[in-house]
Amino acid sequence: MRSFLETYGTAVAGLALALFFVVFAPNFAAPNNLLNVLKETSFLAILAIGFTLALITSELDLSVAEVASLAAVVTGALIQAGQSPLLAVAAGLVVALGAGLFNGIAVTRLKVPSLIATLGTAAIAKGFAFMITQGVAFVGRWPTQFTGIARGSLFGIPNLVLWLAIVAGAALFLVKCTRTGVHMTATGEADEAARLAGIATGRMKRLGLTLSGLLAGVTAVLLTASLSSAAPNMAGDYFLYAIAAVLLGMTMFEPGRANVPGTLVAALTLKVLGNGLVLMGAAYYVQDIVLGLIIIISVALSATALKKAAFKL
Amino acid sequence: MAPVLSLRGIEKSYGAVAALKGIDLDIERGEVLALCGDNGAGKSSLVRIISGAQEPSAGTILLDGEPVSFRSPQDALAKGIATIYQDLALAPRLSIVQNVFMGAELTRPLLPFLHVLDKRRMEERARGYLSRLSVAVEDMHRPVERLSGGQRQAVAISRALHWNAQVVIMDEPTAALGVKETALVLDLIRKLHAEGRTVVLISHNMADVTAVATRVAILKSGRKVIDRPVAGLDADSLAHMVMTGKEI
Repeated sequence: MRSFLETYGTAVAGLALALFFVVFAPNFAAPNNLLNVLKETSFLAILAIGFTLALITSELDLSVAEVASLAAVVTGALIQAGQSPLLAVAAGLVVALGAGLFNGIAVTRLKVPSLIATLGTAAIAKGFAFMITQGVAFVGRWPTQFTGIARGSLFGIPNLVLWLAIVAGAALFLVKCTRTGVHMTATGEADEAARLAGIATGRMKRLGLTLSGLLAGVTAVLLTASLSSAAPNMAGDYFLYAIAAVLLGMTMFEPGRANVPGTLVAALTLKVLGNGLVLMGAAYYVQDIVLGLIIIISVALSATALKKAAFKL
Repeated sequence: MAPVLSLRGIEKSYGAVAALKGIDLDIERGEVLALCGDNGAGKSSLVRIISGAQEPSAGTILLDGEPVSFRSPQDALAKGIATIYQDLALAPRLSIVQNVFMGAELTRPLLPFLHVLDKRRMEERARGYLSRLSVAVEDMHRPVERLSGGQRQAVAISRALHWNAQVVIMDEPTAALGVKETALVLDLIRKLHAEGRTVVLISHNMADVTAVATRVAILKSGRKVIDRPVAGLDADSLAHMVMTGKEI
């Protein structure tokens, strides 16, 4: 049996951190603040769950943030041009999905290691995003039909939280309850063994990277709707946060393996940490320093799968 | 009845190097055939061809009397020939159940169009396979990396049972094992034999061969030089035959 500490240690630490802020950070426990933390968590967690699905097949997707930015400006441009929200959202999602599929093909067919392929895709997506916007941001009074996707609520629960619940639930169901999910896991755990057992490992890797792209698109739509604007670098800040969430998530529940519940709890922990630090009056750069430390310590603690993915160059 | 597998004039060349120079071999249903020979004799090439990992340069393979060609190990598996590789075929960090059912998971309908994994049935079946092999492991969710070498072989064989493989090819199954574990693996082979399955055992260990094999084929320099029943042979004379390529 794995010890309790090994499996839940960092999750408990996250809980302890939240309790610490409840006691010491002014206004942290105010309902409004907690709700905001939860909403903020949605963007990060959805993006990071995509990354998680790619990493489950042992591939890195370093393009998530840039792809999300590209999808955001595609959606923003169409909304700005007065197109229907449905078309704008679909276009953003398709672009992101296409970028993910492109990553998958580069990795499985062109045999480019994902570390390199997705960095390339990130640069390409960034270029297109600037091309579309010509470097400025789309801002406007956008139809509530569109902004409501992120700003509305249902039975008092903010839509953002609902979207996160849907994405997390679907991802967890895929990974734990379907053949496709266990084939993805087997592919990430033991590529050769999975192939010998008749699993289409290339297809699983393409699927992981494509889903990662799709969820970057979902994040982009929610972000754009929530901010009522789209800029070519709007998701850039989420890059390190998403990686940190996945890595920290790998230290809990299924140590050493990217897993959806871990990513979810880790994303929440990171947002609690950021929010608490701000409320306690810490300078903005403290967050970055803490984030970097979390990334390194997480990998040192457990992330053998990530080392495998990153170093099979 | 036709042999379960017949090889006729199998040749394999790697560039200018001829690894197999025309092998004829019949594998009878239900026998335990040991494939022996020194390094470089052609054992591995022959196994790769039977298991579907490579195609022969020339010659035919007959499965139950019908000519077949295996495009891949999965193709061979689908036709009832399972190969148990030394280490490659298991995912160390996944559980016993996940390894036994890897690539062939059981599902149950949740909705008319949506099937989900049937975890309970897989766990029961995995337990059943292992008890059929007389291997006592309580926790079916234990990662394979925490099992002994012999228990891992049992997990790999359970997978072959799940595929209902008629021919099980075992490549050096005892190579890395201690005395006790080796005994366990030999018992597994006896169990497969008792179930009427055909086993092809590739081994350097002559004591293993005399313990479980019914027949031995010895290769030397890409040719089959000896093909005879094991009965009456001891490990020493077998070792001598492998070295000299001549019957004594």
